[in-house]
Amino acid sequence: MPLSAELLPAGLLVILAATCLLDRQLPRACLIFIFFALLMALAWWQLDAPWLALAESLLGALLTGAALRLGLGRFASQRPLPARDLHVRPPPQTVVRYLAALVWLVLASIAVWGVAAGEALVTPGEVSRRSLLITGLAIMVLGLWGFAHHLHLLRRLLAFNVLGSGVFLLLAGLAGPVIEVQGLILVGLVVALAGSVLGALLLRRLFLLDGQVTLSDEG
Amino acid sequence: MIADGLPLLEATVLWSALLAPLPMGMLAWRFPPQRIATVLLIAMLLLPASLWLLHRVAVGGELQGAGSLGGLLLHWRMDALAGLLLLLTQLVLLASAAYAVCYQRVSALHQRAYARYWPLLGGLAAALGLIWVAADLLTLYAALELMGLCAVGMLLLLGEKSALMAGMRYLLYALVGSLAWLLGAALLLGASGRLDLAGLAANGAPEAVTGIAIALLAAGLLLKAAIFPLHGWLVPVHASAWAPVSALHGALVVKASFFILMQLWQRLVPEAVAAAWLLGGLGSLAVVWGGLQALRTNALKQVVAWSTVGQLGYLMLAFPLLTGTSAAVATLAWQATWLQLAGHALAKGAMFMAAGNLVLAAGKGGLSDLAGTSRRLPLSLMAFGLAAVSLMGLPPSAGFTAKWLLLTSAILAGQWPWVVVLGVGTLLTAAYVFRVFRFAFVEDEHRPEVRSLPAGVDLTALLLALAALGLGLGAEWPLALLREEGTP
Repeated sequence: MPLSAELLPAGLLVILAATCLLDRQLPRACLIFIFFALLMALAWWQLDAPWLALAESLLGALLTGAALRLGLGRFASQRPLPARDLHVRPPPQTVVRYLAALVWLVLASIAVWGVAAGEALVTPGEVSRRSLLITGLAIMVLGLWGFAHHLHLLRRLLAFNVLGSGVFLLLAGLAGPVIEVQGLILVGLVVALAGSVLGALLLRRLFLLDGQVTLSDEG
Repeated sequence: MIADGLPLLEATVLWSALLAPLPMGMLAWRFPPQRIATVLLIAMLLLPASLWLLHRVAVGGELQGAGSLGGLLLHWRMDALAGLLLLLTQLVLLASAAYAVCYQRVSALHQRAYARYWPLLGGLAAALGLIWVAADLLTLYAALELMGLCAVGMLLLLGEKSALMAGMRYLLYALVGSLAWLLGAALLLGASGRLDLAGLAANGAPEAVTGIAIALLAAGLLLKAAIFPLHGWLVPVHASAWAPVSALHGALVVKASFFILMQLWQRLVPEAVAAAWLLGGLGSLAVVWGGLQALRTNALKQVVAWSTVGQLGYLMLAFPLLTGTSAAVATLAWQATWLQLAGHALAKGAMFMAAGNLVLAAGKGGLSDLAGTSRRLPLSLMAFGLAAVSLMGLPPSAGFTAKWLLLTSAILAGQWPWVVVLGVGTLLTAAYVFRVFRFAFVEDEHRPEVRSLPAGVDLTALLLALAALGLGLGAEWPLALLREEGTP
């Protein structure tokens, strides 16, 4: 398989993740996330994991996307959330959070390097494991940054989902698309969906109660 | 799941006892129980099954097996510890159910919200049961997440802003914790190609990778177990939940993560002394910090919640006492830890229920609102006091026996810091408990009349507190089971 055919979807995944997390226009960010999840499904398809591709497009793209838009109040007839997020996190909190994210990242990178260094990194599928690992790490960085940086609860849910996708890619890159990996990712997808639905419902009720879209002591 | 190579009867009983709460919860969603007799009937079905299983394990040794699910091999095993924990879980869950049935008559909970309590309770029961018997990272992951999501769902029953905030905070923490777990599992799977705990222990991945994987797994678990300094979410969550739910959270939910961490530790890094001392140090800080905060806060349920932060710290002392010490020390510490866990589960369940009663009757949750309750609510206050006896570690309670064993173990090992921690923790606990009592015994003529409560809520809290004392008196039986099995 030529290198460009591998780099294109990987690069696109990273770009979509970045725009999804940077976009302050929330409905658009949700839409970008849906495209991101569909591209993830395509990656699973290329890895010879059709069931995972189906689960990703159904649970990850369709239902999680719907849950996030539900959280924004796009389906309700009254009082949707403001479409634009204008919150900025005060600097003292940011330092601790960035530090925690950095520790996570350094640990993960060292371990990934430790596992991957001794192996050939070629899978029976069409995608090489090295590109999976690099894409996974890049997406994980973006997700960690988003989760540590954002205040708006919907953007934190988005960041959690992106971070989760990064971990899934790492998982596939580290162990290949074996049945255990598919099981872990499947459970992970269900958990992420359930978490997103719960989070969206919570956000919606918090907003309807008194217009709050962040956790109170952080806003 | 299909079990191979073991008596089919035991496996059938085990899996029906583990999974029965799910359909029961669904049924109770449709027809929410209004009488305590319904809960007692369920108790008569479930408790004998667990007791029989425990007996089988005690006589015939560990049960284990594996089941195939779509080509994926899932492992489980049941030893005496898992049996005892299963029994403890069922007791506390049934007490919470019985309490909820009585409590909802007087608390301002909507009937629809009350109905939703039951499927969540069923899910929680199944998840906890699975955690006690699971022996591979995938089952543990699924069970841990089921438990976390049910726990968040339970926080939303009240629909108040503080509860919603606490639920959201807990959800975000739990989700990130679950990703840390997933990454740790990915590293172990990538390094050794296995997910089952026995296989991981035997295969031995490179040391550095195992270390980092355990660090990630442990970070996720410590976050969910609210171990200092990751305890930030616990107090608002436990203090703002509906009383039967607070009892469950404080008694069981935080313990499951500790149990898993201990399993992983024993199998994967049993020799990591420095890391074990780090965990012991964090536990010591938790004991002191939780005690000090409980002494400072002015709301009753927050006192109880901060006390959980402190009491969880004692469990962490197990790591330095089990790692690289002599067999005598390790056995004592092993018994002490699980007795402390069980004693705290019973006592903390009772304490949250008693606190729920007091707050409901007084109408407000502040400590100063307790004035006059000693005369008007003697039973609830007594349940609170009996539970406190176990938390302080006064004889004859489970807390006393556990702390005595822990003390002996620490002295025997020559690990003096933990002796100091135990002493300071006991003094702090006594201080915040007596502070609550001082408020309760104030007689104030101008107080509005205190509400009367149904007998069931007092009785459940009292029974659970008495169970904590009884466990101290009858500790020989569970301790003997643990001793015969030895530390893994």
